[in-house]
Amino acid sequence: MCLAVPGKILEIDGDTARVDFGGITREANVILVPEAAVDSYVLVHAGFAIQVLNEAEAEETLSLFRELAEALDDEGGRGTSGDGGAGATERHRSQADEAKRGTE
Amino acid sequence: MIDQEALRSEPAAHALVERIETMVTEPVSLMEVCGTHTVAISRFGLRSMLPSDLRLLSGPGCPVCVTPLVEIDRAIAVARTPGIILTTFGDMMRVPGSKSSLEAERAEGADVRILYSPLEALEIAEGNKDHEVVFVGVGFETTSPTVAASVVEADRRGIANFSVLPFFKTVPTALDMLAALPGRALDGFICPGHVSTIIGSDAYGPVARDRNLPCVVVGFEPLDILAGLVMLLEQVRAIRDRSEHARVENQYARAVTPEGNRAAQALLADVFEECDAEWREIGTIPGSGYEFSERYSSFDTRQRLSVDVPPPAGPTGCICGEIMLGLKLPTDCPLFAGRCTPRDPVGPCMVSTEGSCAAFYKYDRGNSSEV
Ligand code: SF4
Repeated sequence: MCLAVPGKILEIDGDTARVDFGGITREANVILVPEAAVDSYVLVHAGFAIQVLNEAEAEETLSLFRELAEALDDEGGRGTSGDGGAGATERHRSQADEAKRGTE
Repeated sequence: MIDQEALRSEPAAHALVERIETMVTEPVSLMEVCGTHTVAISRFGLRSMLPSDLRLLSGPGCPVCVTPLVEIDRAIAVARTPGIILTTFGDMMRVPGSKSSLEAERAEGADVRILYSPLEALEIAEGNKDHEVVFVGVGFETTSPTVAASVVEADRRGIANFSVLPFFKTVPTALDMLAALPGRALDGFICPGHVSTIIGSDAYGPVARDRNLPCVVVGFEPLDILAGLVMLLEQVRAIRDRSEHARVENQYARAVTPEGNRAAQALLADVFEECDAEWREIGTIPGSGYEFSERYSSFDTRQRLSVDVPPPAGPTGCICGEIMLGLKLPTDCPLFAGRCTPRDPVGPCMVSTEGSCAAFYKYDRGNSSEV
């Protein structure tokens, strides 16, 4: 029920935006995201954009996952948590610390 | 920007699962509070990948499942009232009331319409001035701002034949209640990602601080969930080993900020007021629901129609309440997969697609012994 789908704003007309969800375009109301602009990525729930996605944070998360995958590849699929695992944990920590700083 | 594939990469998932395996050296119970997480965990088969000592419990995070039977009966009674068009999200249609369901009422001729957005109810109201259009307002903080915005819009456009049955619930108060349950075996919360886009990760601060339970806001892709589990397990270990105190962390920082969506919060504060709310099978949780503020009270269906409903008659033998409190798993219910199936559901947890019994039935039956 709390499903929300990410999409990119193509155009805004008043309170209504046209949002591209990977090729499918739908309208979404943008009254809850006054900071949204054309080219913003937004999460859409029940016909409303409910949050603008933070691209820098998205990239951070993705690069963490890429590193994890590569670390495993480097181990030749041995599947142990050697350096790769530790490196990943470090990244987790820094991400966690950042989040912590942000929340306190 | 967001390459969905990269959030489902198998090598990265393996790396995270290995990490989790090394961290779970004794039993740990974590609760995913959100029905969308329950479905994602089941759908991606995460349970079968995780060590058996890591228990993932479903919380009361399916809004349909926690809507009291008497309110389902009320929505059905409203649908039966002449001159009414009842509008709802699809999830509510098949939920059994004491004697009927919205789907059954529609088959009998009631005008019940499924909407994608509450805004659509305004168009229906404008096109049917001789009818009263009622929206069934079920949902958590992800959904309630969309209904609040629709109400403000109805007010602006002077639409007088639109109202809402307010069955909204709020998450942090419920978490606090769960955390305080005597005898709980709970080590942390997987906090709901999309509720948190609205309320912000700071909202869990009191639960982490006062109950010493780690709260990690987590996204919905498989790698999000696994990474969130690593963050939770690191906290659980630090709390157990070094007596560190629990805190809030945010794995879903691409969508969730510490303070949340201020515009949505302002709208909620304008249209609603906090009230005590009854959670099905759980009971009343003080301050965990919304009713309309004075200013918007004319949009409350209950103020406009008096619909009396007899005391409800619930299903017997259903243990949804204990499942939603994290005390039991669906497979502990004697009716699971026998008397109770998604085709012929007994309790709300089996009827809603986000209910834990439905998710278990669909995806986890084969490995239920592992959980
Ligand atoms: S299996 Fe059916 S009867 Fe048992 S708890 Fe789940 S919904 Fe209720």
